[in-house]
Amino acid sequence: MKSTTPTPPSTLLRARQVGRTYAGRAVLRGVSFELKAGERLALVGPSGSGKTTLLNCLGGVDRPDSGSIELNGVALETLNGDQLAEVRRRRLGTIFQFFHLLPTLTAAENVELPLQLNGVNAAERIRRVQQLLDRVQVSHRADAWPAQLSGGEMQRVAIARALAHQPELLLADEPTGNLDSKNGANILRLLRELSDETGTALVLVTHSPDAAAICHRELELRDGEVVGERLLSAP
Amino acid sequence: MSAASSRPDLPGVVGLLWRRFTWRHWCLAPVQSAILVAILSLGVGVFFAIRLANRAAVASFQNFTDLITAESDGLISPPAGLLPETVLTELRTAFGSRPVQLIPVLETTAARPRQSETEVIGSRGTFQLLGLDLIAVQNLAERRRPDRSWFDQSASPGASATSRDTSPSPAATQFWDTFRNPRSVFISEFLARREGLSPGSELPLILNEQIVPLRVAGVIPTDPAQPQAPAELMVMDLPALQRLTGLTGQVSRVEFILEDGPQRAERWQELRALLERQATNFPGAIQASSTPRWQVASPADRRESGEVMTRAFRLNLTILSLLALVVGLYLIFQALDGAVVRRREEIAILRSLGVPPRLIQRAWLCEAAVLGLAGGVVGLLLGWLGAQGAVRLVGRTVNALYYATSADRAALNSSEVVLALVVSVLTSVLAGWLPAKSAAETPPAQSLGRGHGTTFIGPRLLRRTGLAWALVALGFGLLTLPPLRLEAGLRIPVAAYGAALCWTFAAGILGGSVLKHLSRWAARPGSPLSGGAVSRLALSHIREPSGRHRLAVAGLVCAVAMTAGMAILVGSFDTTMRGWISRTFQADLYVSSDGAQSASTENRISPATWRAVAAHPGVARAQVIQAARVQLPEGETMLVGGDLEFFREFAQPAWLQEPVDNSIFVPATTAGQVLVSEAFSERFRLRRGDQLTLPTPAGGQPVTIAGVFSDYGNERGSLIVDRAHFARWFDNELATSLILVLRPSADIESVRAELRAAHPGLAVFTQSYLRGEALRIFRQTFAITYALELIGVTVAVAGLGFTMVSLLWERRGELTTLRALGLTRRELAAAAALEGLFTAVSGVAVGLLASVGLGWVLIYRVNKQTFGWTLETDRPWGQLAGLAVLVLAAAAATAWGAGRWGAQLPAEQEE
Repeated sequence: MKSTTPTPPSTLLRARQVGRTYAGRAVLRGVSFELKAGERLALVGPSGSGKTTLLNCLGGVDRPDSGSIELNGVALETLNGDQLAEVRRRRLGTIFQFFHLLPTLTAAENVELPLQLNGVNAAERIRRVQQLLDRVQVSHRADAWPAQLSGGEMQRVAIARALAHQPELLLADEPTGNLDSKNGANILRLLRELSDETGTALVLVTHSPDAAAICHRELELRDGEVVGERLLSAP
Repeated sequence: MSAASSRPDLPGVVGLLWRRFTWRHWCLAPVQSAILVAILSLGVGVFFAIRLANRAAVASFQNFTDLITAESDGLISPPAGLLPETVLTELRTAFGSRPVQLIPVLETTAARPRQSETEVIGSRGTFQLLGLDLIAVQNLAERRRPDRSWFDQSASPGASATSRDTSPSPAATQFWDTFRNPRSVFISEFLARREGLSPGSELPLILNEQIVPLRVAGVIPTDPAQPQAPAELMVMDLPALQRLTGLTGQVSRVEFILEDGPQRAERWQELRALLERQATNFPGAIQASSTPRWQVASPADRRESGEVMTRAFRLNLTILSLLALVVGLYLIFQALDGAVVRRREEIAILRSLGVPPRLIQRAWLCEAAVLGLAGGVVGLLLGWLGAQGAVRLVGRTVNALYYATSADRAALNSSEVVLALVVSVLTSVLAGWLPAKSAAETPPAQSLGRGHGTTFIGPRLLRRTGLAWALVALGFGLLTLPPLRLEAGLRIPVAAYGAALCWTFAAGILGGSVLKHLSRWAARPGSPLSGGAVSRLALSHIREPSGRHRLAVAGLVCAVAMTAGMAILVGSFDTTMRGWISRTFQADLYVSSDGAQSASTENRISPATWRAVAAHPGVARAQVIQAARVQLPEGETMLVGGDLEFFREFAQPAWLQEPVDNSIFVPATTAGQVLVSEAFSERFRLRRGDQLTLPTPAGGQPVTIAGVFSDYGNERGSLIVDRAHFARWFDNELATSLILVLRPSADIESVRAELRAAHPGLAVFTQSYLRGEALRIFRQTFAITYALELIGVTVAVAGLGFTMVSLLWERRGELTTLRALGLTRRELAAAAALEGLFTAVSGVAVGLLASVGLGWVLIYRVNKQTFGWTLETDRPWGQLAGLAVLVLAAAAATAWGAGRWGAQLPAEQEE
């Protein structure tokens, strides 16, 4: 597990000339960038620009046809399926647009699941779940089933779940895309605060300038290529 | 990143997935879970019930003497007929000073007199009556357990050995009473309790053709190390039974008990060698032959003979019982696959959270195994209950075809329990293999787009029509192979079963292609179904059938082909039997002992009685039948003595190899010739012109086969010789039955009534009654198959329902769109019903076509190779049409129900 004090900033993620083709169409073309520990990066661009494909490649659920992605110095393309699963289980956290809470688990159990997968003992799990639910302000809904939660509550639980095992990198795909503006703003604020508190790096895919604004840097993609990079605030 | 470079180790994850997901899904959908467990338990239950029933029927065939004397070391029995008592002296001389106890045994059968004239054949049980030297047996019992006696029993019902523990000394009075009264019989404690009999009770029994008033002397005191004597066992003093049956000076076998002490097995082997040498010494009166006078066997050999005799029958029944399990396997597959579809999103999230594919696969296999275990446990209960009914069905068949069995309840058996559970779990895991693999191949949630990545491709094998034709060809190849031959001439048609499996699987593959072409044909421009929105929608889904459609078709093909194939076999059997019965039973009256209630009856008709019957003024001609079991080197068969000319005239045999001339039918030239049944010819691989030596009490008799005829009486086969030879060889004229042709002026019913009144121990049947009874007994042997077929079809239709539910779940996004476009729920349900109907039509059509091939395999290979019977092919079109209509209607209704359910699904509903 990573340390929660990311100083001095070191390179956490390095993408070099990443390319991906689907059915003869190049979805990603030579994408390169770096991400330091604790840094927040927004991936923006129109639909079909390759943002989600790039996020999937970063998460090890899709493999680039060319180029390389290194997480803490380990090239993901050299790992097999089980090893990639291990990376996701220990080092990555993921937040989805459609929340993807497990319907048969309560809110607390959803948050507890990554801890169980990582072999954390029961007492520690209970403590951390409680802490996280308190932090995302849904501890009063701990025993509720996903179907009983509002959209905003679901996404808060999903964020708690993504952070439960203290990942080094959080990947978020349009986390406010399915929420109203008020709930969306609350979620973005929460994400920024948690990232600051835990020192977790964030890659955020979004269409929204408001969402991108919580990040330190913005990378603009168009037709699978990086067409611009902008510094938003200092990490 | 060391963790990433090593193999993830998640020992508790499968358990976690089970607790947090599988179990909760089961709890969330209890009805569906219960249906799955019920379906599997049905298959396991049928399998378990048949196995228990088979075991019970076989267990009742045993060496009854063992129950009384404890296990003997060995025995000798003649290859045909009985042994003369003089062998005892001969053996005692041969043994010299060896300490061996000889137990001569006469074994015969008896039955209670009938209670009413309307009783059907076989409704009364057959008792096995043992004649033993009671003094020798008592000495033996006292040596082993001094507290057990035959001769000091009180008059209370069911007085048993245990109640006699406090009074060990024999009661001299009862001892002498037993021997002064030659009609004393000892019965089992079970019978005493069941019928309230006690020492002194009257017990009339039919011995041969006489109703003999016997008196209960007491309860058989069995050895505590042996099981309790069964209800059908009775014991008499040997000389008394010999007198009552007219078999004075003859015994069925001699058993040997060695002194206790070291090297008992070696001493028995030495004795065995001596007995085998002695068996080839022929005293002056017996014609010397290569056939020994007796066979030496161990108790295990004898016990096995009952098992061997019915092995083919039991194997066929077991294979049939697997039908429900095979179709159940397909259903479990459908259900688990459906569950994978519904829980795809959940699996994808788990993948995103870092659960590796192999653990997901393991969790699903674990789910299948637990499902199998649950189904197995419930199946054991169902099976045990079903076995109590099945044991009677199996017992009736065994009774009618093989030997007397009174098995009326099936006991639990630990090895059968374990086998049933293993079969259940393996079936379920096998069925869950592909769904588990499919679950493991689910991509993480990030790449699981809605509406993408969930299409089930199914086993690629189901799309390979080339493979189907190769399997058809392989089936033809297998059909050219002979059956597997086991001991005693038993044949197991392994290759034929393999061919049936190949063709069924091939038909399953081709069914998918038929569905594709059928839907394209129905959707062609201008066809009545091409215009409507509902029909176009339904047909659009099967123009390129999905893996799920193909599997549904394959399941239906399998169930329909097997069911219709069995219907064709049974129909052909029925037609053949009716023809055979009407040809064979041409005379007016058929007479046998009224105690003859099973195939193994020893009840005979004495010469005085059959002569009196034949002399009745109404009788024009009488055919006297004598029969005896004879042991050929390859196995036991039946030797029949009769008037061969009468046989030709009144049984009108269907010849497979007709005698080349009339010499066998002419008394002057019949010597040395024999007719054999088809079953005999197949089993012993002997044809017209071949020679064999018949073992008889008068020595080996060389005979030549003059002809081969069709016969469906038993699968062990039979030989017919002129009765004069039979009587001379066996030195008696005891008849098994009489066939009477009455004078034209005689009234059949009047003659029958007169004969019954004059001989109450005889059963006298008219031609029409016997024809009806023969058909009834035949049909009851197939009763169990109908139940199994019904289960098979039910399970297949339920499988189609599961398929439709899975398909609609996959298409719930499309259903939302269709509703938005204005389709009503009724229209959506109709589209699903039409889709299900087309799927079922393909399954039924190909299944019926395949059943023609399967029927052929069953009739001309499985049946011919197992039982040696040639059947006349008959296709029960009415029954097949009924089956087709039933399956189609059930399939359409099931699909309609699934459609109604699907039409109400919210687009994004999560389970």
